[in-house]
Amino acid sequence: MEPTDIELVERVRGGDDDSFRLLVERHSRALYRSAYRVTGNAADADDVVQEAFLRSYRALASFDSRATFTTWLHRIAINCALDLLDSRKRRDGRISDGEDLSLLPSRAATPDRVVLGSEMQRAIAAAMAELTGNERTAFVLRHFEGMPLEEIGQILGTKLNATKNTVFRAVKKLRQQLQPFTGSLV
Amino acid sequence: MNHLSQEDLILRYYGELDADTHLGECAECRDELARLGRVLEQVNAIEVPEPEAEYEAQVWNRLSWRLRGEKRKSRNVTRWLAAAAMIAIAFLTGLLVNRKQDVRPQVAETTTAPRPAATPVNATAVASTETTASNRNPGAGTQQQRDRILLVVVGDHFDQSERMLVELTNLTPAGETDIAPEQKRAEELLASNRLYRRTAVDRGEENVATLLDELEPVLMQIAHAPSQVSANELRRMQKRVEAKGLVFKLRVVRAGVRSEANLPQTPTI
Repeated sequence: MEPTDIELVERVRGGDDDSFRLLVERHSRALYRSAYRVTGNAADADDVVQEAFLRSYRALASFDSRATFTTWLHRIAINCALDLLDSRKRRDGRISDGEDLSLLPSRAATPDRVVLGSEMQRAIAAAMAELTGNERTAFVLRHFEGMPLEEIGQILGTKLNATKNTVFRAVKKLRQQLQPFTGSLV
Repeated sequence: MNHLSQEDLILRYYGELDADTHLGECAECRDELARLGRVLEQVNAIEVPEPEAEYEAQVWNRLSWRLRGEKRKSRNVTRWLAAAAMIAIAFLTGLLVNRKQDVRPQVAETTTAPRPAATPVNATAVASTETTASNRNPGAGTQQQRDRILLVVVGDHFDQSERMLVELTNLTPAGETDIAPEQKRAEELLASNRLYRRTAVDRGEENVATLLDELEPVLMQIAHAPSQVSANELRRMQKRVEAKGLVFKLRVVRAGVRSEANLPQTPTI
């Protein structure tokens, strides 16, 4: 029978680094997906995964065993992703980097130029790229991770109403960008 | 009928708002919710590139390298902290030892060494004041040590001077008397006497300086006299020493100085 996350955490706290390897192997792929959705970039997602595990290792002593390790780890990863987006925003004045922007459709793209499949992927990526870091994070956590708004607020450091408004803004922006294409599918 | 706002529809979509009653009655809101759902479901189509098969192992390999660095750094920090603690302990121990040495004369003065009533030297008071000051100000510790050294050597100087003068006054004036041994010692004492006098003046030890000042011409006379002196010459020298009460003064001041410097009292000749 495989040890639970909490058991592994206790072993790591006792100095067993091999148990931390098991935690890394268990969670790195899911963490990568979340990080990718927030950063929109494979390389950044990979960096976020590394940084998240490093931060979690340092903070393992403060981990409350009554909490879920997965949630705790995801919170750390999202914070890492937000830090990365903030630093990139300060540096470039925008969220996405060149790698993904090269794949994005131009602003002049019209619905009839966007076809299903890869074109839709680009449209969604473009719409996501329009979101701010907080909007993207709040949306990813609510939409993909199914995280309650209160928990999202804890990660973002915002009150419930502000968190709701962040999610609302994100959904409205996405809807505005994507509704024309979804209309063609109906 | 009031329709659901876009915010309400979003909350309803994510299950954060119960609006089923209204939706059961309002077809317009049901349609709006359906349109919202279609948009958001499209977002689910966003593909996340699947990492390589060995992704987990790659993450761990890179991470373990960084963790080793973390541990090294942590060990180095621990070593530095240990070294800093050792230095701090050594420093504090040094301070403590210094303070004990500084305090000792004060304790000796107040508890064991009775201060001679006729002490003409106020060196005791001076040193005592400085001891207290050095306790308040650690920087005064070095000065205090210098004072103590001065008291020790001056006390020794007074001791030797007293012995030499006592031996001289005990000589019987008869014929030609060989005072070469006393003369030699007087020469040596004269050189140091000048040095101590200047130092005592500089340090503000007025009474010590005064006694050294009185001693100096006597030492000079003995040092510059012929090694063979007549009985009359010897008698004049003896009278000069006695007239000044030098032996008594030296004895009293020496006792006070040695007490101040926390040295054992030498037996009186």
